[in-house]
Amino acid sequence: MKRWYFILAGIFFLLALLVPLVVESDYTLQILFRVFLFAAMGLAWNLVGGYTGQLSLGHAAYFGVGAYSLALFSKAGVSPWVSVLLGMALAVISAAVIGSVSFRLRGPYFALCTIAFAEVLRLTAKNLPNLTGGDVGVQVPLLFPHSSTKAFYISGVLLTLIVLALTAWIEHSRFGYYLLAIREDQDAALAVGVNTARYKLWILLISAALTAIGGALYSSLFLYIVPDQVLAMEISTEIAIVAMLGGAGTLIGPLVGSITLETASEIFKNFFKEANLLIYGVLIVVVVLFLPEGIVGTIANKLRLFKAAPTAPFATPEPPDPEEEAQRAVISE
Amino acid sequence: MNWFYSTIQAILNGLLTGALYGLIAMGMALIFGVMRIVNFAHGAFLMLGMYATYVLFQTTGISPYYSFPLAGAVLFVIGYATYMGLLRPIRGQVDFMVILLTMGLALIITDGVQLIFGADYHQINIPLLSKNIRIGSQISINAPWLVSFAIAAVLAVALYFVVTHTMFGRAARAIAQNRYAAPLMGINVNRVQAISFGIGSAAAGIAGALLLPVFYLFPEVGNQFKLKSFVMVVLGGMGSIQGAAIAGLVLGVVESLTSLYWGNEWALAVDFVIFILVLSLKPSGIFGSQRA
Amino acid sequence: MKRFYLLFPCVLAMLIVWAGCHGGEGNTIKIGVVTSLTGKQAAFGQAHKNGYTIALDEINAKGGLLGKKVELDYYDDQSKPDQAVQGVSKLVDQDHVTIILGAYSSESTRAIVPVVTQKKIPLIIPTAVADNVVETGSPWVFRICAGAESFAAATLDFLKNNGDPKTLAIVSENTNFGQANSKSMTEAAKAAGLDLVDSESYQDSSPDYKSLLQRVKNKNPEVVYFASYLLDASTLMRQAEQVRLNPKYYTSAGTGFAAAEFPTPDKGAGKYAEYTFSVSQWLPSAKWKGSAEFDEKFFKLTGAHPAYHAIEAYAALVVAAAAIDGAKSAQSQALRDTLRQINLAETPFGPVKFDSRGQNLHPVLVTQVQEGKYKVVWPLDAAETKPIIPTPEWSKRQ
Repeated sequence: MKRWYFILAGIFFLLALLVPLVVESDYTLQILFRVFLFAAMGLAWNLVGGYTGQLSLGHAAYFGVGAYSLALFSKAGVSPWVSVLLGMALAVISAAVIGSVSFRLRGPYFALCTIAFAEVLRLTAKNLPNLTGGDVGVQVPLLFPHSSTKAFYISGVLLTLIVLALTAWIEHSRFGYYLLAIREDQDAALAVGVNTARYKLWILLISAALTAIGGALYSSLFLYIVPDQVLAMEISTEIAIVAMLGGAGTLIGPLVGSITLETASEIFKNFFKEANLLIYGVLIVVVVLFLPEGIVGTIANKLRLFKAAPTAPFATPEPPDPEEEAQRAVISE
Repeated sequence: MNWFYSTIQAILNGLLTGALYGLIAMGMALIFGVMRIVNFAHGAFLMLGMYATYVLFQTTGISPYYSFPLAGAVLFVIGYATYMGLLRPIRGQVDFMVILLTMGLALIITDGVQLIFGADYHQINIPLLSKNIRIGSQISINAPWLVSFAIAAVLAVALYFVVTHTMFGRAARAIAQNRYAAPLMGINVNRVQAISFGIGSAAAGIAGALLLPVFYLFPEVGNQFKLKSFVMVVLGGMGSIQGAAIAGLVLGVVESLTSLYWGNEWALAVDFVIFILVLSLKPSGIFGSQRA
Repeated sequence: MKRFYLLFPCVLAMLIVWAGCHGGEGNTIKIGVVTSLTGKQAAFGQAHKNGYTIALDEINAKGGLLGKKVELDYYDDQSKPDQAVQGVSKLVDQDHVTIILGAYSSESTRAIVPVVTQKKIPLIIPTAVADNVVETGSPWVFRICAGAESFAAATLDFLKNNGDPKTLAIVSENTNFGQANSKSMTEAAKAAGLDLVDSESYQDSSPDYKSLLQRVKNKNPEVVYFASYLLDASTLMRQAEQVRLNPKYYTSAGTGFAAAEFPTPDKGAGKYAEYTFSVSQWLPSAKWKGSAEFDEKFFKLTGAHPAYHAIEAYAALVVAAAAIDGAKSAQSQALRDTLRQINLAETPFGPVKFDSRGQNLHPVLVTQVQEGKYKVVWPLDAAETKPIIPTPEWSKRQ
């Protein structure tokens, strides 16, 4: 990578880390924490969704596993940070199960399958109040003893930095090229000897572990969770939207997406009150219509900043899959 | 007590509910079959159909069982316009951008309706609601559900007929089989796809109309049906209309039996578990014939 | 060059930061309100807003508080607990409110207890009934409405003195409201020596509960206790008739079964609501001073009669105003101390006095729907009429 990319990134993150020196308002810090947390979640999603082309709409499962692990293990006496690690481990196990079933499917089937798994987890958490607190909720311990929003904000920035660095490293590794090959044409990749099943699974495990950390952080800030909050489809879609609108398959797309969407969402809420969701929906539609590769993707394409495949997001439609086309016959033979 | 009769009753109830589910799923299956679009605004369309029927009922007193074609017509227009205006321009895009757009659309419709009509729930009351048909002393069928079952069944057969025996249906199937060869055969792909989207949305709207008397109305009412539709479409075999209809009945019965033997709160989870099982064991669905 | 477009969203972010440092001063008294103006609980958030508005107009018509006009600063939590927490931060850190009313739901309210405690801001809770909301030990929490525990106690009290049934089935929705009430009743019933023969939990807003009701019927309970919202309450009672479920008593934890529309045929269960018992916190016909006027004003404002959510919101603001008046200050600590001591003998929601946990000892009545109207049947000193027991079987009703 060019040297000045590093310098720019360095400056950005340095400035981000210095923000708590200037900002005192808890509210602003919470918003900024949300921005960075969803940036990190979007980046983690991007590994599976953007680079590997597998549209997961069930990432809330890992988010929720991280959150509930922190809450429930601590309740059982385990120290909070160890609970977070356990959460990561559980998320990896969940991802292994979910992936082994879902990755046999392509495109929308895969997406729907991930939705199903996340919903099953949510409903299980909701219907077993004796185990998880059910919809009444469960308390989450503080990860940072002085309950400082600043500490959470910084952890959000650091998490984003870590995931970004990880993404950059993967992007330029052989592993990353395998993932792109899977995205562009899974059958061709298989034909040239790429072990598609293994790599898809690995990247999902990594993505899940990172998402679980995010879930734990998020729940610890708010100190109290219910299933409809951390296991809801809304979390899955928010993570995916942040990445897709920012630019799936690009390095900093999710970061840009999160900054734009989270701040827009808060501004809309304060200005438009009851109409804020409508305006948010309009924003999504407008971006999809006019910035089809996401903010970063479209701008990069226009400025021709990227070379062909590695970071350019999808510009061509997938070639028709004859087996799948036949299967989609409206009346089955 | 008498679990035997309870089971029979549960199966009956499930079939009645399942008919409506099936109608909703058929609409989504048509759209997915022809265009490969997973429409996340399908539930919102159902809700619009319900509101249209409700407004008509409040102003003119016409029962939803007579006014449902209007809901269908309204949603046909909305569906057609949505396709032409929003989905066609982004047709070349990746699947998930299209899904994203339908999600945004769903937000707009749902919040928009809330702004106009308020978040409050609405309900209608028609005399038919209290009529029950009793078979022996153990089994009872609530009349409105029977009526909606009949209407849904007729519409399902009609849709099947349209798809198999009309020019439009043949064109739609051609596009489903090979999106790129179809225009070479002289098919106006855009128009057929728009019509399909319109018909699929109309199905959702009509289902909403039929649901109105036995349920209640609020802006988010479509959500649960949308998710279940995904399950049914896959269960029935992607793009297979009859598959979706049967899957609807199956889902209704499964939910009802789960409620009876395990607990109502698990019914939705069982839906998804079955979904996952079918996807793992026979991904092409009940009526699909190939491997995925 | 590549990162220049990062500037645009960064500018947006900076705007937020700038806005964050931009506090508001002036000569109004600002009271913070967190409620659900959008999302799945929006209908109740609106009821809150209407209740608050009526109270606000009354207060300002009398000249406001401490010589200043009173303003309400709303934050929409979108029916989400984490947004509620964010709302408290905004209201306190950015808008500098010194007292907060809200939230709507039990989970959102429970979620904001730690943050109001940490920021040392008094919180007046209008409607959240889950018991855990007042069980955290926080000295900054005050709840106007009665909680799940009181509902169970009142119902069991009534039952013991009116036939003393022995078997109970609980039917609750699998949400916070339902689970909290189910838990309270389960514990209370056990302590009272009743036999819990069945406990059903359901997914709210389902079209078909007949299988669930059949399960309850198979266990043959004398009492069924529901924890449901209005629409499910209507669906459940209609389908209870179809299933021919005939317990001796249909009881409930209020809410849906206590809604103004519940006995009406157009918006509720109509004739199927007849004979059901419910706990009640307030009725438009309540004998408290100002109740009838509130009902009138609400009807004029919205065209519908108020459910208790609206009057609880109204009461919360009235109490907040009384605290500010009594403390002669809007400062948080002073307000809290005043609230601890406050003793309002008469509000349209009855007397208000908080116990050591911050719980208002609001009386809970038991009503029965008779001829389409709610009639208070318990306790005896408040009763309007005798209860009709046992509940007539469905096939014997016209």
